[in-house]
Amino acid sequence: MLSIGLCDAQDIDFVRDIRPIFVEHCYSCHSASEQESGLRLDLKSAAFRGGDKHGPDIVAGVAAKSPLLGFVNSSDQAKRMPPDYALDAKQIEKLNQWIEQGAVWPDGIDSVREIDRTDHWSFKPIAFSTLGSIDTLIEAKLRENGLTRSPPATPIQWLRRVTYGLTGLPPTLDETDTFTRRLTNNPISETAYAEVVDRLLASPRYGERWAQHWLDVVRFADTHGFEVNTERPNAWPYRDYIIRALNEDTPYDQFIREQLIGDGLGVDPATGFLVTASVLLPGQIGKDAESIRLARQDALDEIVNNIGQTFLGLSIGCARCHDHKFDPVTTIDYYAMQAMVAGVEYDDREWRSEETATKKRRAAMLHDEADVVQRSIDEFAPIARPKSASRMIRSDKHSVDFEKQPAHIVRFEILDANLHSSLGLIEPCIDEFEIYSDRESEGNIALASNGTRVTASGSTESGSHHARFVNDGIVGNESSWMSNAKGYGWLQFELPKEFNITHVAWGRDRTGKFDDRTTTAYRIQFGESTDKMRVVTELLPERPAVDPKRIHDRIPITLTQRLRLTIEATNSLEPCIDEIEVFNQKGKNVALHAAGTKSTTSGDTLVPAVHDPSYVHDGMFGNDRSWLGNENGRGWVQLEFAKPEEIGSIVWSRDRSGSLVDRLPIEYTIEVETPDGWNRVADSTDRRPWRSGMDLGPPFITTTLDPTDARRVNELIKERNRLDAQIKALERDQFVFAGKFRTPDSIHWLNRGDPEQPRDLVKPAVPVFLGSLQLPETSSDQVRRKALADWIADASNVLTARVLVNRVWQGHFGTGLVDTPSDFGRNGSKPMHPELLDTLASNFQREGWSLKRLHREIVLSETYRQSSSIFGREETMKQDADARLLWRFPGRRLDAEEIRDTMLAMTGELRSEMYGRGFDLFDKRGGLSGFQPVETFTSHGMKRTIYAHKIRRERDAIFGAFDCPDAGQSTAKRRESTTPVQALNLFNSTFTLDRAKAFAKRIQVEGGTDLNQQIRVAYNIAMQREPTLIELSTALDVVKIHELEPLCRALFNCNEVIFIP
Amino acid sequence: MTNDSVWNTQSIDLCRRRWLGDSATALGAIALTSLMEGESLQASTPIIPSIDPARPYAPRASHFPAKAKNVVVIFCAGAVSQLETWDYKPELIKWDDKPLPGGPAVTFQGPAGNLARPQYTFQQRGQTGKWVSDMIPHLAELTDDIAFVHSLTSKSNTHGPAENFLSTGFNLDGFPSLGSWATYALGSENQDLPAYVAIPDPRGVPQNGSNNWGPGFLPAAFQGTVLSAKDPIRHLVAKGVARESDEAAKHLLEQMNLQHQLHQVSDSRLTARIASYQLAARMQLSVPDLSDLSTEPPHILRMYGADDTKNGDKAAFARNCILARRLIERGVRFVQLFNGAYASAGRLNWDGHNAIKEQYDIHAEIMDQPAAALIKDLRQRGLLENTLVVWCTEFGRMPFFQKGAKGRDHNPDGFTCWMTGAGVKPGVSHGMTDEFGQKAIENIHPLYHFNATILHLLGLDYERLSVEHNGIQRRLTNVEGKLIREILA
Repeated sequence: MLSIGLCDAQDIDFVRDIRPIFVEHCYSCHSASEQESGLRLDLKSAAFRGGDKHGPDIVAGVAAKSPLLGFVNSSDQAKRMPPDYALDAKQIEKLNQWIEQGAVWPDGIDSVREIDRTDHWSFKPIAFSTLGSIDTLIEAKLRENGLTRSPPATPIQWLRRVTYGLTGLPPTLDETDTFTRRLTNNPISETAYAEVVDRLLASPRYGERWAQHWLDVVRFADTHGFEVNTERPNAWPYRDYIIRALNEDTPYDQFIREQLIGDGLGVDPATGFLVTASVLLPGQIGKDAESIRLARQDALDEIVNNIGQTFLGLSIGCARCHDHKFDPVTTIDYYAMQAMVAGVEYDDREWRSEETATKKRRAAMLHDEADVVQRSIDEFAPIARPKSASRMIRSDKHSVDFEKQPAHIVRFEILDANLHSSLGLIEPCIDEFEIYSDRESEGNIALASNGTRVTASGSTESGSHHARFVNDGIVGNESSWMSNAKGYGWLQFELPKEFNITHVAWGRDRTGKFDDRTTTAYRIQFGESTDKMRVVTELLPERPAVDPKRIHDRIPITLTQRLRLTIEATNSLEPCIDEIEVFNQKGKNVALHAAGTKSTTSGDTLVPAVHDPSYVHDGMFGNDRSWLGNENGRGWVQLEFAKPEEIGSIVWSRDRSGSLVDRLPIEYTIEVETPDGWNRVADSTDRRPWRSGMDLGPPFITTTLDPTDARRVNELIKERNRLDAQIKALERDQFVFAGKFRTPDSIHWLNRGDPEQPRDLVKPAVPVFLGSLQLPETSSDQVRRKALADWIADASNVLTARVLVNRVWQGHFGTGLVDTPSDFGRNGSKPMHPELLDTLASNFQREGWSLKRLHREIVLSETYRQSSSIFGREETMKQDADARLLWRFPGRRLDAEEIRDTMLAMTGELRSEMYGRGFDLFDKRGGLSGFQPVETFTSHGMKRTIYAHKIRRERDAIFGAFDCPDAGQSTAKRRESTTPVQALNLFNSTFTLDRAKAFAKRIQVEGGTDLNQQIRVAYNIAMQREPTLIELSTALDVVKIHELEPLCRALFNCNEVIFIP
Repeated sequence: MTNDSVWNTQSIDLCRRRWLGDSATALGAIALTSLMEGESLQASTPIIPSIDPARPYAPRASHFPAKAKNVVVIFCAGAVSQLETWDYKPELIKWDDKPLPGGPAVTFQGPAGNLARPQYTFQQRGQTGKWVSDMIPHLAELTDDIAFVHSLTSKSNTHGPAENFLSTGFNLDGFPSLGSWATYALGSENQDLPAYVAIPDPRGVPQNGSNNWGPGFLPAAFQGTVLSAKDPIRHLVAKGVARESDEAAKHLLEQMNLQHQLHQVSDSRLTARIASYQLAARMQLSVPDLSDLSTEPPHILRMYGADDTKNGDKAAFARNCILARRLIERGVRFVQLFNGAYASAGRLNWDGHNAIKEQYDIHAEIMDQPAAALIKDLRQRGLLENTLVVWCTEFGRMPFFQKGAKGRDHNPDGFTCWMTGAGVKPGVSHGMTDEFGQKAIENIHPLYHFNATILHLLGLDYERLSVEHNGIQRRLTNVEGKLIREILA
């Protein structure tokens, strides 16, 4: 308890009495290095402001209202400060008196000074300046530093530089020629330069190049990342969107809006931006609630990071656990940003566009066609055989006894086989077939050694399998007969004479090693000759197991007004049925609610707009229009038609869309009411038993049909499969991985970023120091994202334009004016030329946020055109080796994609097709580790590298080593490192060797038979120049002996090709 | 009434006002913008290694005298159960098949079953009398030299993020791995081989694949090079190219680069690229020599189990262990040796969900003898004096079985990893889990501490070794990390 007046009042001196207490007991957590709960006690202004959650900690004059006293004095151990012990009573009393006496803390005694974190260049309005162009501003800065600009680069160097800079490719022979000729013919050379720039900006290659820069920043990939790293098959439309938007010069403010709320602007794929990160998918997240909460937090965190880094150049994500260490971003600001995107899920969404709408319509038509085909197939389906006995067919040995019957010929016909766990229905196999007569002493009369001859319908032959092995007396798979038809085959035994048969036996593998390929249905016939055969016994095939997508029961035509489906078991939980259709003889569905049919059920679980008993015959499919029972594993649905109907076919399902497979009825009975009472017409006893994840096999077994019908059905099934494949292809592109939008989660700020420590609810808002935008908690997802987009894309946003023009500058000069392109905060670098940055930014905004205009401004400047040479500039090198002041143009190495594209361009193999699903760099498109690189490329593999299917974290086996980002984290700036692995890859890979061959071929075609001319062509393609005499003779020496390939390999690897001047 | 309530009411009000930003004085912005003058000096100044682009693997000085020069990490993928190996819990025998009072109903994979006794017999070993299970008899012989940390915790119970956390200090993809950090800071003693080698298990790559040896945003030079006794470095030679043609191409390239350089004096990047081709040429010679295990005498092959004709996986892992020793012998800085492959319901790695005993019988047989032999071999050659050997796994397993199974679920709250060799105090068991081995309760160490300790043994200041990425000075241990001093010699 606080005890005021325990000691005699005395004058308390802050420096003498109070600060030592703070230093000893509080500073370790509440001073410069750490500010637990946002409180610091080493600085007057901060101390009086108090901690994050308690307001002012010191209320001068009122100790009882001062949290500081409350903390040191708290009776609650968990709240008391310091945490591990209590201050002694004297110290508490001193604090008490100090506050009571007015908490005098003299000014100017703190050893530290406070800085306003909002006082930072990039948080201030963009300075509008019309004073200078790029060149005048750069020159002024050079002058300040006593430097001068370099002379212009040669026209060809410039051409090479600008062609790579804008398109990521080398100039072609034609382009080089045209430019050179233009310069010779036209003394006003500026036009020639401008023409090149216009041509490059109009080229589709421009969007391909600059999209790569953007995709690096947003860490785009075509897989989900993490352990399972599965394919994200619909991610590529976002990549294509970026390329298109850049080529169309979509104004940058619009570009931002589209990426945040493209769903509201008719460009669904653009919102792929929100979900470019790695994410744990539901199957990978733990079943425990903590895992689920953490995964969602991580997923939202990635979106906030992406927005902060990409558009604003701010590391907002740093404030997830603590207030930002450098920038004025608080933890609350961070969670307020989370709230802005709390309605976003990582998932595919419907892709609404004209093209997809057309595909959708076409798919719907094909669906109708497929339905017609299916109904034709259904007509041949076997009639249900309710109350079938359960069958026990053993793989090792199965025998059948008869009343003694005479036979000369024994024919064994396999009608069905069990399903292989991964291959489905495959060819049956018999290791030995035995036939016994009423005279035991005769033994197995089927043996070839007894003179019995065997013939088979057809055989798969190998060292282990042959028809003659079936009666050779040797058991086991190694000596067996295997049919050559899936689930079918027959064996015919011609006995040496007529016998009285009493039993036959066979096995698939009597050694017990194999239990696949087992006969599960058969027919046995005896006869005195092949044309006089009679069936002595048969076991008909089972119908397929229940399929969540479609269960068909064909019954004898029956007149009835009422039908009941009773579920006796499900694969999990309460049964769910999305639709029951009952067809009459004319093929009309008489079960429809609209046709006047009424339904009753055993009981229901009602979920508005999802589960309702009436949905079971509403003509609409899918889980969201289904009946859900209210008892685990059982329930029934009864339909009463408007009038008695002659029915013959019932089609029903758990989820016709195929997405859900739980709650599936796996044991059931269908009864119809007849004048004699309820009559069971179908059930599951004659179906294959259902197993989780099983291959369902064919729709039904056709072996019992007569050959003409069987052929017809098989044709129909083929037709159905063909239609299904077409539908699948059309539907495949109906979705885009671009975020699914829903009611936003309620976002609480989390203590230390821990999802298990939620605190108060947070409203969607932007960081307080940057703006006042705040939305009510009730606002919808789209409203939130729209408000956020508008705020970012507004001309008054101090960061947006600056960050973008800096990225473009970096794209051309290698380094931005701010060399921390995704951090414009206090810990980032200061701009090299603040005036230039702001001039570019304000021009950019004023000129309609056009990126192409900005490129033009930059690449046509003299700053960009100057030479990169350091010849004779040794002194300047000492002063500014990295050319940050741009006294020369800083050359650079080509990046990974440019090198690959360049090689293909040099050989003439580069394909100009754009867009679409990525081509493969590996043997698989996602999944668990162990990707094997593709070594040989053809067709689509010759497209530009940006069209490769990008597997997150798996760098390309050759070019990945050239600092190609792995899409794990955002790459705002690529490194340019040099490693021996790069050398090995670029010199020895199959890709290089193949390109060398192709390049050699091209050189021969274009250079004719003269070796000198060939070498000249090679140099011109590779370096846009003629070889020198020395180069020519060196190359000639090699080419004469080893032909062109060594020259081609060397050219792919040499510095002049790999570096931009 | 205590004082607490008085100021709580007031403070909540103020708090809300602050973060709603509705105060005319923009209280929020100012309240959190205080920055001490000189703060950045008080905080640890980042150390960013200076790397000569022409010689990225050149040895670089440590921050202070190092105890260990090289590291071998034996990374057991899939999460090895602490309860079947190093963390003996006799209480589990008593409580076998009884429910854990107050235990969780659902863990990572689903409902929890009853407590289950250790699936192997434990015995006391060596001078220290350390209890170790019979599952790993060869490693068990070495316990007098090992420093165990029994109280490690992870930030995730999912293999992917947890292997990221162990290997890179972050749950997310794309951060630099421990080996990348080590070689980024220190380079390597051998210029003819990669500085950092990752050797995957013969059965396949680990669950989280290449992110375990990725450079993240460090230069690509510091990516782990994948190499195993079975598979050599990719693109080491040009397949199907005659030697003379190959030599001619190399020579021509050299000429071209020299010609080009004449006009570009003192551009270090050009020099670096020329040097990289020379280094590559040396690698072409040294890698085959390195991977040629035929020079190993029979008694060495026997010691590792590389001559095991019955168990091909074991023999292959043993060959990888010999390869690891040969790399260390040649001065390669960082070798990461994987035991256990990708997700396979525990068939190919230590992820013992279903039938832990059956699965671990197989994995232990592969791992135990070769790993133990590697340590013994390093010691008998005197290499252990400056080589740190680390045995680690991404998290541990639950003391109870999963419902309806005979295996244990993921447990990030208390598990064991260990170190031995250079700079490590021998025969220590540090930290403790509760009586059932479920949660660390004493000297709790998030994996940050384990990684911090490894960097420390390499003579690196884990609080200062940094790289700039998107405006943040990134470190292996993020803003966390603490030395586990108790296991240092």
